[in-house]
Amino acid sequence: MHESVADIAQIISGATGYVYPNEYLLQWGLLIVMYPFLTGLVAGAFILASLERVLGIKELFPVYRLSLLAALAFLLAAPLPLLAHLGHPERSLEMFLTPNLNSAMAMFGFVYAWYLLVVLLLEIWFDYRKQIVIWSREKTGAMKFLYKILSLGIDDISPEALRFDDKIGKFITIVGVPSAFLLHGYVGFIFGSVKANPWWSSVLMPVVFLFSAIVSGMAVVLLIYMVTAWFRWKKPGMACLHKMGELLLYAMLVDLALEMLDFIHRLYESEESIHILRDLVAKRLFISLIISQVVLGSLCPLVGIVFARFGKLPDEVRRMLYFLSAMLVLIGIYSVRWNVVIGGQLFSKSLRGLTVYKTSLLGMEGLFMSLGLFILPFVILYVLVKIFPPWTGNEESAGETAAPS
Amino acid sequence: MIFTKLNAKGKWLLNRFNIPRQTIALGLLFGILVVVFLAGRALFVPRSFGLYGHYRGDAIKDNESLAIQFAGSTACADCHADIFDLKAGSFHANVACEVCHGAAADHIADPGKMKQSAPRERGLCPLCHNYNPARPTGFPQIITDRHNPGKPCMKCHNPHDPKPPSVPAGCNECHRAIANQLAVSPHAALDCTICHDVPETHKISPRQNRPGKPNNNNFCGRCHAKPADTSTNAPPAAELIPTHRVEIKTHAGRYLCWECHYPHHPEAGP
Repeated sequence: MHESVADIAQIISGATGYVYPNEYLLQWGLLIVMYPFLTGLVAGAFILASLERVLGIKELFPVYRLSLLAALAFLLAAPLPLLAHLGHPERSLEMFLTPNLNSAMAMFGFVYAWYLLVVLLLEIWFDYRKQIVIWSREKTGAMKFLYKILSLGIDDISPEALRFDDKIGKFITIVGVPSAFLLHGYVGFIFGSVKANPWWSSVLMPVVFLFSAIVSGMAVVLLIYMVTAWFRWKKPGMACLHKMGELLLYAMLVDLALEMLDFIHRLYESEESIHILRDLVAKRLFISLIISQVVLGSLCPLVGIVFARFGKLPDEVRRMLYFLSAMLVLIGIYSVRWNVVIGGQLFSKSLRGLTVYKTSLLGMEGLFMSLGLFILPFVILYVLVKIFPPWTGNEESAGETAAPS
Repeated sequence: MIFTKLNAKGKWLLNRFNIPRQTIALGLLFGILVVVFLAGRALFVPRSFGLYGHYRGDAIKDNESLAIQFAGSTACADCHADIFDLKAGSFHANVACEVCHGAAADHIADPGKMKQSAPRERGLCPLCHNYNPARPTGFPQIITDRHNPGKPCMKCHNPHDPKPPSVPAGCNECHRAIANQLAVSPHAALDCTICHDVPETHKISPRQNRPGKPNNNNFCGRCHAKPADTSTNAPPAAELIPTHRVEIKTHAGRYLCWECHYPHHPEAGP
């Protein structure tokens, strides 16, 4: 929010209709777009992992641990855009020390802490405990010391103890699924409860956010799985890819249906805001909503996944289609976040005018900061994978094959 | 000795109830976290927090005990009556002396010892008068970088009786935001005086001589009624708008035109 006079003049000249003076400049920029995008990836990756654990979908075995680690990496990075946007990150601790029980945002701090400490870290710990103990015996130097600490001094890997780990891990996953729903449902709740903004105010918002989160989480895990397989000189297992593709397809269909329902409901209800929302879509969000979200981000990947899963194609082509479709899905879901966060601020509360948003490259709210915050979870994931290698050596049975040299 | 006993007792409990050891370790870790959290709360949350509301109760006492710095808006009049009276009749009537000259309690207590500051540089006035779209229409605003760069404001404006150095030539001198919108709207060809009855004295004393505004739908109907009145009373732009004509009585009902259409930037489409 440090636009130059020239920027402000440009924004004002780009605005049309009647815009209240305090609405010309947007308060929420790229960082707030990044926040729901990252939390969505967390929830989606965790739900994908829980499908293997709770429903016993064995084809997903090669991505189970990878999904958990990806969820943790994204969860650790997710609050950073908010803290960077607000400034004074140390003040966020006050939310825990003196919580305001009437504030959804304050209460969400506890949901977040619960999800991080009780769900994700515990599940990863119980799942890796056997390996941690083994590594603490086999490794040397600093890594041995690290694994010793991580084992909490317990080196019992008897069959009874491991059976208990498995049971409790399953229980945590079952508790974790509603927690993951809460985590991302809340982000939609925050937007959906802004009753002064007709673009946001909808009871469907938490549900739409949740399903778009599941879609984006599955897509990002699919991409991470393919890329990590290539880096290990393996071919991604087709059974796993097919299952992920199928689940992604179903989640996308539900997501699309919910969004269509929201859209049709708005059109049929035709509240007084419908005219400005029509203008908003036609004049300001045409590229990001119609082109990027609907055509590129939903329809194209739907066709791509259907062909990859059910078409008679060579495996190489299928892999390429899955990869491209998952990339497009991520672009599409980022566009969803953009359209919600930026779109909701582009029209005036007078319902008579539209303003414009100008992205800056540098600075705290700039494009490079946003890109950095998107890359950061992948760096964290790299470190996590180094500490907790997710590959057990049983992937071959799930269809992974060594790439021909 | 006592640790050996405790250890033996612990082992017996573990075996008796078949409690896995990893849960004990985790329980201890979470216990430590909870204790650290509670200790942090006890340490960092002030005791008076929540006494009256969601804030530190002692903050009220702290504020009460602060020394009074400001003398108030009328304290200066006793010694500086001439300047006070001049300002009281000016646009700055509601701007207290201490806004520009700083807190004056010490100066009132001992005028000889403590002198007030008198800002003469260029930085202070733009705090209120630099262009900001959130400021109300008619509020004098400048783009500081372009408005006589480098020249102190006081060269042209007396802060105790601020007036433009010359009578404004047109409406856009003060109503810049509206003028900007009007310039790109379908009403761009209309002069402000077509809709507003502006007394010449408005330019010199704007608040005492406010311009008139249309007060009924028939005014807009002069151009936009079906059929439009093209008699001599109609404004010159009537022939420029073959569309945008409505049955004024049935179209608006009990609403006024400008409750839906913003006259300074009406819709461009048919």
